[in-house]
Amino acid sequence: MDRRDFLKRSGVFLVGAPCAYVLHVLPVSGARASSGHATATRRWGMVIDLHKCLEDCTACVESCRHENNVALHGDERWDVYWIRKVDIESKEPAVGTEESVPLLCNHCDDPPCALVCPVQATYRRDDGIVIVDHHRCIGCRYCMIACPYNARFFNYKENHDWHNKNYPKRSHGVAEACNFCAHRLDDGRLPACVETCQGIAGALTIGDLNDPHSEVSRLIADNPVKRLREDFGTEPKVYYIGLPGR
Amino acid sequence: MDVKFKPIDGNTPRYWTLVGILAVLALAGAWSTWLMFKQGIYLSGMTNRVPWGLQIVMAIYYIGLSAGSLVVSGLYGIFGKAEYKPFARMAAYLAMLFLIAGLLSIITDQGRTDRVFIEPFSHANPWSMFSINPSLYIGHITICIIYLWALFNEKYRLTKVASVTVVAWAIAVHSGTGAIFAFTPRELYTSPLLPVAFVAAALSSGAALMILVITALFKITKRHLDLGLIVWLGRLLAVFIVVALYVIMIENLHRFYLIESRHAAMYYLFGGWHAFLFWGGLILVGSIVPALILFKTKTGTSLRWILFASVLVVVGVWCERYMIVIPGQTFPPELFPGMEIVRSPLNEGIAVYNISFLEVLQALGVLGVIGCMFVLGLKYLPLAPAEARTVGESQMLKHMMPDAEVTEAAVSAEN
Amino acid sequence: MSRRRTFADKRSVLAVSVLVVFAAIPLLSSLISYVTARSAQPFLEMPDPKYENCVRETEYMRYHHWELLAEVREDFVRHGKRGDITLSGCKECHPNRERFCNQCHNAVNLTPDCFGCHYYPETPEAELMETYLNGKTTAPAAIAAAERNR
Ligand code: SF4
Ligand code: SF4
Repeated sequence: MDRRDFLKRSGVFLVGAPCAYVLHVLPVSGARASSGHATATRRWGMVIDLHKCLEDCTACVESCRHENNVALHGDERWDVYWIRKVDIESKEPAVGTEESVPLLCNHCDDPPCALVCPVQATYRRDDGIVIVDHHRCIGCRYCMIACPYNARFFNYKENHDWHNKNYPKRSHGVAEACNFCAHRLDDGRLPACVETCQGIAGALTIGDLNDPHSEVSRLIADNPVKRLREDFGTEPKVYYIGLPGR
Repeated sequence: MDVKFKPIDGNTPRYWTLVGILAVLALAGAWSTWLMFKQGIYLSGMTNRVPWGLQIVMAIYYIGLSAGSLVVSGLYGIFGKAEYKPFARMAAYLAMLFLIAGLLSIITDQGRTDRVFIEPFSHANPWSMFSINPSLYIGHITICIIYLWALFNEKYRLTKVASVTVVAWAIAVHSGTGAIFAFTPRELYTSPLLPVAFVAAALSSGAALMILVITALFKITKRHLDLGLIVWLGRLLAVFIVVALYVIMIENLHRFYLIESRHAAMYYLFGGWHAFLFWGGLILVGSIVPALILFKTKTGTSLRWILFASVLVVVGVWCERYMIVIPGQTFPPELFPGMEIVRSPLNEGIAVYNISFLEVLQALGVLGVIGCMFVLGLKYLPLAPAEARTVGESQMLKHMMPDAEVTEAAVSAEN
Repeated sequence: MSRRRTFADKRSVLAVSVLVVFAAIPLLSSLISYVTARSAQPFLEMPDPKYENCVRETEYMRYHHWELLAEVREDFVRHGKRGDITLSGCKECHPNRERFCNQCHNAVNLTPDCFGCHYYPETPEAELMETYLNGKTTAPAAIAAAERNR
């Protein structure tokens, strides 16, 4: 190898190696998940019918807490809610609309939380579920900053309630959010909140948005639906029927 | 110009007391970090609504302060102002230390500090500002070390190259740090001007800190320092202050003018005690007063006033950093436009952030670490110049500063 | 000049040796636990011998089970590939953490992160002693537990 050749080769290497690295990581990075899910053709979505949702009912919140060992410390600064119920009221008293709304992670199709996670701990599975790999999260809380829906929570304290021994809890120091009960969906069961609600009010429905015959697709087609702050461009996958306001 | 460097003696009890105090601070910080690592970071004042607290404020503050090297090496390396060469070593060393401090603040702030040295290297997400920035910081530290090495060994060409690189890289570092906030979809964070404001404020705080450190060092070790050099840095500082003020003004006017963000702007500017930090700390104390002091010929050429203005700027920029990080989180996102959340198990309104004692200890600990490194560096490395004099500038200085004292200083430099 | 040189040399030798010592600490500690792991004689409650080599050979499992677990975890959590190896599968033959996992982990002074979040039944050591006195466990485990309690 003469000198010229050597320089050329090292040049190719110097330019090529970073490019190869970037090309290698880009497809699996940020918003897009790694391949390999058997469920790549599915896209989970939820429809919440606010006309059916009962005002003082928090059954979904409780069942979620028990299924997923969600921490409740009794202090609103550190309590974790994968799903929570809020009551909203119109700002103009003359209109006087009131509604009770379940809020949860919207499993955005373009999730800003996954975009900013420095270690790809938060990622979007091929079936659209945004999930946190708690083995990898370093606890930087950037995802909580980036989520425009306040849907993410942090384990500030060690959680000592272990309701469901078949499901892991989380150590202190990692972030978490609703994951549509991915473990249950993978087993062919319904998420805890949906299962509970269907026995009470039937306001929550989950299903495949890619399948035009699924119940969620039908509900979305037949009813005027809204998603939270569509103007953010995050493409949420939780649809509300009867959500008041602009 | 041949500049002689002479490490400080560092044998006095005073010196070792200083080292001791800083070491104790560092230990206290380590203790509080250990406590948080074991029990969870609820021990800090952070909550689910305000997940970034004092440590992030301090991190971006330190990283801004590291711009001091940029100012001095720019003066020496790019504009060829040889009389600033004596400070170049110290500036590069300080820049390195402040970047280390920034990284330390970020590392000690993580929930799982044990994974910080593993996961970001094995699974980095190239899109995240939080993995782009640390690479930039580590790159900057490396360049600073190369620059220092070149300065220590008087390698002129390498110095030139390194000083230009340091300037370019530092601009990237400071913009990137601003982008951590500016590129996230939060009402008070999203702003293309924030990185620019961050660079401007970084330059002013860095220059102010350089003035303070240089003067303190020369006064304490009783070495000769020409006032003209400090006056020049002061002028520069004044320009930086005005630029930063201008960018911040435009940013807030824009936010205030648009109807969709007016509510947030009202909160930012007038809604709560942080408004005092904005108007009193950032605008009045941090910008207007020091700019007036530095632009007025009489006060702008007196060492005492320049030092006073520098202290004000260093404080004011801290307020600016606080205003970047905290109000953007305490202001709630509007989830239901036109509606109001009246009942929720959580706080959905304006959140509060109370700094906790342990958090302050952590911040002081980081300060202790880099303080120790700086003070020991002065003793063991040839950082401190034996003297600093102006050259060939006496005409300009005479014109600028008619004072007898200054003229004398300038003339003595001519000989 | 020459005096300054020696001075600088001494300093760099000092710096390098400090660095080496600091780098050696983690290496040494892992070396020590490796040696203790090789020589430890922990009591392990074994299932029926017919389950020997159920996942991999015993020798491989003893020293590399954690690598296997990490691999399986990555496949499942990140790629949605669920294989036959699961933590609940382990529980079927080794139902008690105290009489299996903890024996070696304690011997090499190691606390894995897993059990903080994944449930794995564990009998406290005092209780183990009691079951021995009732004739429900073997002596070595109870003795080991009692010794540790002392
Ligand atoms: S709602 Fe928030 S946490 Fe959920 S996917 Fe969207 S950005 Fe992420
Ligand atoms: S807190 Fe965890 S999940 Fe969130 S961005 Fe940081 S590493 Fe990712």
